[in-house]
Amino acid sequence: MIHLQGLSKTYETPAGAFPALRNIDLEIAAGEFVAIVGKSGSGKSTLLNMVGGIDRPSSGSLRVGGRSIQGLTHSELASWRGRTVGFVFQFFQLLPTLTVAENVMLPMDFCGVRPRSERRKHAMSLLDRVGVADQADKLPSALSGGQQQRVAIARALANDPPVILADEPTGNLDSETSIAIFRLFGELSGEGKTLLVVTHDREAAASVSRTVTIVDGCVA
Amino acid sequence: MIAPRWRKVFRDIADTPLRTALAVTAMAAGAFGVTMILTSYSILKRELKTTYSDTRPASAVLVLDGPASDALVDSVRQTPGVRDAESRPVIGGRLFIGNDQWVPLILFVVRDFRDIRLDRFTPDAGAWPPGDGEVLIERSSLSVARAAIGDRVIVRTSDHVERPLRIAGTVHAAGLAPGWMEHAVAGFVSANHLRSSADQIRLLVTGDTLDERHIRDIANRVARSIGHVTRIEVPTPGRHPHAAQMDTFLYLLGAFGVLTFALSAVLVATMIHALLTEQLRQVGVMKTLGASTTQIASLYLGQVAILAAAAIAIGVPLGIAAGQAYARFAAGMLNATITNAMPALWIVVAEVAAGIAIPLMVALGPVAHAARISIHEAFGNDVGGKPFGTRRFDRWLARIQWLPRPLMLSLRTTFHRRGRLLLTVATLAAGGAAFIAAMNVSAAWTRTLDADGHARRFDIQAVFARPYPVAQVMQALASVPDVVHAECWTEAGATLGDANVSLVGPDVDSKLLALPLIAGRWLRPDDDAVAVINQSVLSLDPTLHIGGDIPINVTAHVVRLRIVGIVKELAPRATVYAPPRAILRATGKPAGLARSVRIVTRQRDVAGQVAASKAIEQALENAGISVAGNQALSDSRKSFSDHLVIIKSALIFAALLVVLVGGLGLTSTLTLNVFERTREIGILSAIGATPGTIARDVVFEGMVMAVLSWCAALLVSIPITFALDAATGQMFIRSALEFYMSPFASAVWLLLVLILAALSSFYPARRSARLAVREAIAYE
Repeated sequence: MIHLQGLSKTYETPAGAFPALRNIDLEIAAGEFVAIVGKSGSGKSTLLNMVGGIDRPSSGSLRVGGRSIQGLTHSELASWRGRTVGFVFQFFQLLPTLTVAENVMLPMDFCGVRPRSERRKHAMSLLDRVGVADQADKLPSALSGGQQQRVAIARALANDPPVILADEPTGNLDSETSIAIFRLFGELSGEGKTLLVVTHDREAAASVSRTVTIVDGCVA
Repeated sequence: MIAPRWRKVFRDIADTPLRTALAVTAMAAGAFGVTMILTSYSILKRELKTTYSDTRPASAVLVLDGPASDALVDSVRQTPGVRDAESRPVIGGRLFIGNDQWVPLILFVVRDFRDIRLDRFTPDAGAWPPGDGEVLIERSSLSVARAAIGDRVIVRTSDHVERPLRIAGTVHAAGLAPGWMEHAVAGFVSANHLRSSADQIRLLVTGDTLDERHIRDIANRVARSIGHVTRIEVPTPGRHPHAAQMDTFLYLLGAFGVLTFALSAVLVATMIHALLTEQLRQVGVMKTLGASTTQIASLYLGQVAILAAAAIAIGVPLGIAAGQAYARFAAGMLNATITNAMPALWIVVAEVAAGIAIPLMVALGPVAHAARISIHEAFGNDVGGKPFGTRRFDRWLARIQWLPRPLMLSLRTTFHRRGRLLLTVATLAAGGAAFIAAMNVSAAWTRTLDADGHARRFDIQAVFARPYPVAQVMQALASVPDVVHAECWTEAGATLGDANVSLVGPDVDSKLLALPLIAGRWLRPDDDAVAVINQSVLSLDPTLHIGGDIPINVTAHVVRLRIVGIVKELAPRATVYAPPRAILRATGKPAGLARSVRIVTRQRDVAGQVAASKAIEQALENAGISVAGNQALSDSRKSFSDHLVIIKSALIFAALLVVLVGGLGLTSTLTLNVFERTREIGILSAIGATPGTIARDVVFEGMVMAVLSWCAALLVSIPITFALDAATGQMFIRSALEFYMSPFASAVWLLLVLILAALSSFYPARRSARLAVREAIAYE
């Protein structure tokens, strides 16, 4: 599902060139649940951003779902991302002025997935799936951190993408909630979704099928 | 059902009421300013023109050397090329206003008040038509006559006959210059009561009434056919006597309309920049959810359009109402009546269209930039910003170590966010430049008036009904103790081509006139057939030059005088100065005669001048010298300064409007600036900064921006002032005003901008500083 070969990323900074990723080769099959671990600044998030098309590699090749995304235009990339990848962030990043259900409907809206009349029903079923359907018409600010992250996961699933990318999804949650979130990820993986999760949480990461450790921009 | 993304737009607007209010207020202020100016401009331009054309202005006036019979007037009407004609002689004179004082009077003698064909006037109040022994006064000169309807006044006509007249009512003669400006009274009497020895026939031509050559051809033909015509006057076709003043006034309105428009556009850009900066993180989130660049751009352009529509809904109706009020005020000053106070439809349509289109156009760049931003950058919140220290200026700033650390931080923050700094400073500078320029031009007019006053070193001028020997005049004045110095001058009416010019011969050793020279030199005692012309003569014939001849037509023959100098004077009247002997020779009069006298009095204040003027007139009359007019210089200066009232009103109006728009813009911009820094303020609080320290630093930052904007405003105001000085001076006095930067204007703006900056930074800074640190850091 995810195929990285000789992938490198170098940032130009005032202090000089900074190699964030060096010559990464990585193969992740469909339905795999992979944890990416490593110290702060090791390049974990950069790797995730490359896979999600948030950032472009400096060199090497990158294929997701059988498609090379390096040559895509901004617009093609946006559309591809909306349909192929679901993102989950550490700080949830729900839009504060939209209700929980509207946040989940937003990706469908952007990508024109499903007829308009069915979108809320689908959002409600996803919220039900992650256990926060009763919060559907509240604003994110009224929810706890754990609830917000569940909404974020429901939102990541909105367009039924084959790949879910999560950057420190439990970094802002208590351990009990963290375990519940990882359990949810495990279920998704069981349903055939490919999950790539950057995490520091060794306990939670125990439930993954594979762990990739990054050290100084390289796969250890 | 509305799509979630559009619901986000509406909620973003509704959930941040203060921010929305600030943005809408700033944009509405811009829309208000532009609409107000355009509304008053369009109403005045249309109404001043129609008010004047509705009077059916005469194309030409034929001055006869005797009375004109009804049959003669009828025959003129029948002449081919003449559409209409009417006899209406004019009698000059003076009106007694009490306390031994007289004011100039022009009496129009009307044959039939029920059949007024040309240069129409309409009843305003009181009786119509006037009976025997009655006069109707033009409404704008009633205050000059210091009388009311029903009062009896004494008038002295140019034949020196005094007669009492009862003011039966007032009329509105829109074709006449306002009496309060001219410091003269215009009255209308019936021909049954007062006859003029020299009649005047006004005529309106057929065909192109705006073609001066065509008018002159017909007027000459009529004059030849009826004979006895001593003079033909052709007023500039289609031009009100105060057209220059109105043009200047409308030009200023237009110019400040453009400036306010520019100000509002910058204001809108600032608002949009602030709006987008706070939304960057959300842009990033939406992009990860699959939003395309177009979708994101359309969301924010939609938001801008909604805010702009709200701003228009508030600003445009208010602007129209205020513009109508100002148009009524200005029309009143110009003695015009507004019959239709609706602004031109195009103004409303253009304002609404521009009110939406301009914000969208201004937003296009920043929105496109924000929509194209990479998710990586959006989450980093460092849009377009190079890290501090990467630019040379940053490094220079970093070397400033002597400031207290928190202030240093403020200063570096100010200069680090250059886009924001640039927009804020541009907004404030646009407002400041317009304000300073308005005040500068107003001050330049005052200084021009003062300079002209200083150039005329006499206190009183008396004009005689006919020439008298200089010795007789001087002997009469010798008996008046108030007279310190007197000079007898010669004056005559003349024409240059078709235009009237005044021929003035100051005393050869005159110490009372020192007009500023544009070129050449002033008259010398030994000069003979030479002339010094003023700038208005030059504008009549731009080919005139020093060393060349000016052909002047005096009493039906042409006299050529060599031009030795060109002077600048305030009055727009075309005047040729020449040695008295040259003028007397041209008019066929013997040497030693004077037509007027300029006097320096002992008491130089206004009251002293008035008292002296009475004594002088009495002494002259006692010596058998008939005085046709007698004016204290203070009075003529007052008259000229009253002509400037309307222009100054436009400038003050513009300045106040700019203060309002600029002030609101400044307040909103700086308040939004502080909102943008909420997160940073949270960090400062977290490391121990007190709310007091934070507020002080943010206020300091506001003031740095204010001072920077003030410097920029000073620079930008220079070309604007220069252009306005040149254009308004050229329109009104045929010569550019002397450039002047008013220190007062600059100081007022600095003070204003500092106070507003302090106030508009302090409140939001304190609010941010009082937020809990956690809240501030989580601030979206």
